[in-house]
Amino acid sequence: MDEKIKRIYVPMTESGFYILFCLQSPQHGYGISRQVKEMTAGEVTISAGTMYGTLSKMEKDGLITFCREEEKRKLYQLTALGREILETEIRRIERLYKNSKGEEIHA
Amino acid sequence: MRKTVIRFYTIADFEEEERWLRTMHGSGWKLVKMTPPCVYRFESCEPEDVIYRLDYKNEKQTPDYLQMLADFGWEYFAECLGWLYFRKPADQAQAQEDGELFSDRESKLEFVSSIVKTRLLPLEILFLCCVIPNFLHFGLGDGSAFGKGLAIFFGVMFVLYSFLIVYCGIKLRKIRKKYEQ
Repeated sequence: MDEKIKRIYVPMTESGFYILFCLQSPQHGYGISRQVKEMTAGEVTISAGTMYGTLSKMEKDGLITFCREEEKRKLYQLTALGREILETEIRRIERLYKNSKGEEIHA
Repeated sequence: MRKTVIRFYTIADFEEEERWLRTMHGSGWKLVKMTPPCVYRFESCEPEDVIYRLDYKNEKQTPDYLQMLADFGWEYFAECLGWLYFRKPADQAQAQEDGELFSDRESKLEFVSSIVKTRLLPLEILFLCCVIPNFLHFGLGDGSAFGKGLAIFFGVMFVLYSFLIVYCGIKLRKIRKKYEQ
């Protein structure tokens, strides 16, 4: 994996994580925001500007790709690199979670 | 009924401008048009609590950007020197983030950085490479009426630029500090 990209995205911001997580299937910005609100019971809200900026940056960095347009809304989806970053981040969060519960990680 | 107000805000005063526009709307005046650099045209309306937000975009705004903002409930209604004006009735913002354009620290800081990079920095370069040399050149000039006129012009520019750079520099730094917390 590109080390520079990895340094930027691991660890990732909370908004970044949820956006990447939702883009495992094609989705547009507002759709992502609704999905995130729903899955976190309203605890995480991503604002419009943050959503647009994060999507643009992730597309530029090759984590996600534009797949199609629906009524002026751009739909994006994860790339192989994006999936790799997401999996790395999930493993890191799992480790944090296990350690926080007092469990130890065995290689 | 319409009214025109002339009011000057620097590139570092967007938060004050948002509050002012919200107060205006609350007292029955909604902004309908901006004429650069600082002419505000208002139209009378029903007083309502409406949140105003400004985004800064150096490049041309794309249809998908405006569509996304509209999806999030933001009405785009004016543009002025790279600043885009959005509004949304306050009762449509359930979470605090619904009333903001930026919901996390990283994106707020990036917003300030883009103002510094594309507005403050060019101002500083213009000051160093154009205003100061011309001010010195004509200030020590030949004493002709034309030279004196230019000396006064660049003198005024010198004072104006110095003030703007110091004022905006300090204020943007303060805003950045606030967002970092």
